[in-house]
Amino acid sequence: MLKPQEILAKAGKQRKGQFLTISILVTTILVLIGYATYIRNTSWNDFTWGLFLMISSLVFRVGLEFLSLYRKESKLISLDNNTYKTYLKKHYRLRLGINYIITPVCFVVYVMGFTRLLPYFEREFSSGFYSYILFSGIISLLVIGGIVIYSVFTEHRFLRHLNKK
Amino acid sequence: MQSEKDFTEIYHTHAPKIFRLCLGYAAGDEDLAKEWVQKTFIKVWNHRRSFKGESAIGTWIYRIAMNVCLSDLRKKRKHKPVDERSMQASTEEHEKDDRDQIEKMYQCIDQLTEQNRLLILMELENIPQASIAKTVGLAHGSVRTRLSRIRKALLKCITHEK
Repeated sequence: MLKPQEILAKAGKQRKGQFLTISILVTTILVLIGYATYIRNTSWNDFTWGLFLMISSLVFRVGLEFLSLYRKESKLISLDNNTYKTYLKKHYRLRLGINYIITPVCFVVYVMGFTRLLPYFEREFSSGFYSYILFSGIISLLVIGGIVIYSVFTEHRFLRHLNKK
Repeated sequence: MQSEKDFTEIYHTHAPKIFRLCLGYAAGDEDLAKEWVQKTFIKVWNHRRSFKGESAIGTWIYRIAMNVCLSDLRKKRKHKPVDERSMQASTEEHEKDDRDQIEKMYQCIDQLTEQNRLLILMELENIPQASIAKTVGLAHGSVRTRLSRIRKALLKCITHEK
């Protein structure tokens, strides 16, 4: 087993990581709001729309994930085992709702944003680089889709397991 | 528990017990049990300020540990042979019969429902029943009754399997 000092080091590293991620998320939201306000009446075009849709859908979904994790963690440390089990059932039912409705909506919005940017990329970049952006974008989307499907299966199985107990 | 010194002391007092509890919960999977102990104590340190002292620190840590075990999404492996060194029971005698008996007992424990398993594992660690009740979220009286039934069931299982 680990020594207490090693646990403390890991705990510190985890805290720093959480702080960094939240800082990045908050900064992105602030920059996005600032940028949208700045160009609201002047240069709002398909490019800015695309960018806005992509970033906002991503930030919204990641933010939701953090909120869900934060709530789960705060319940884990404060509830007894029975009450926590009841909470977990509710939590994973809510997660199913998120996975079946909100995630696909975010995914579609993200793809809409991405497709709005493509004509600009095609015009501005060489055909080789454009193809790279196009294929890497599609592959990334497929990978994200795969991860989402996998987590839906895992959470479904776990909810069934919890309901059986 | 605000200083690293306090944490170290608490870790040395509770980590072996938590490890054995997790080991029982993980059906003898030592790596998984070690991982849960680690996760538990990382949470204990990171959330130390939220501990208000309404219960004993040990009870708070058991709660966190049991909730960590419960919320692991991975499939729990089926029974693995129990490593007696980890269980620290009857190790000094090194008698085969004792080891077989312990092995059989943990196999029987493994057949219990998750909550009953948790109750008996805590009882085997000599954790006070009041603390068990607070950890699990049952009334003290219910814990007593349940433990008595579990003991009978285990005895039946062990003698039946002999």
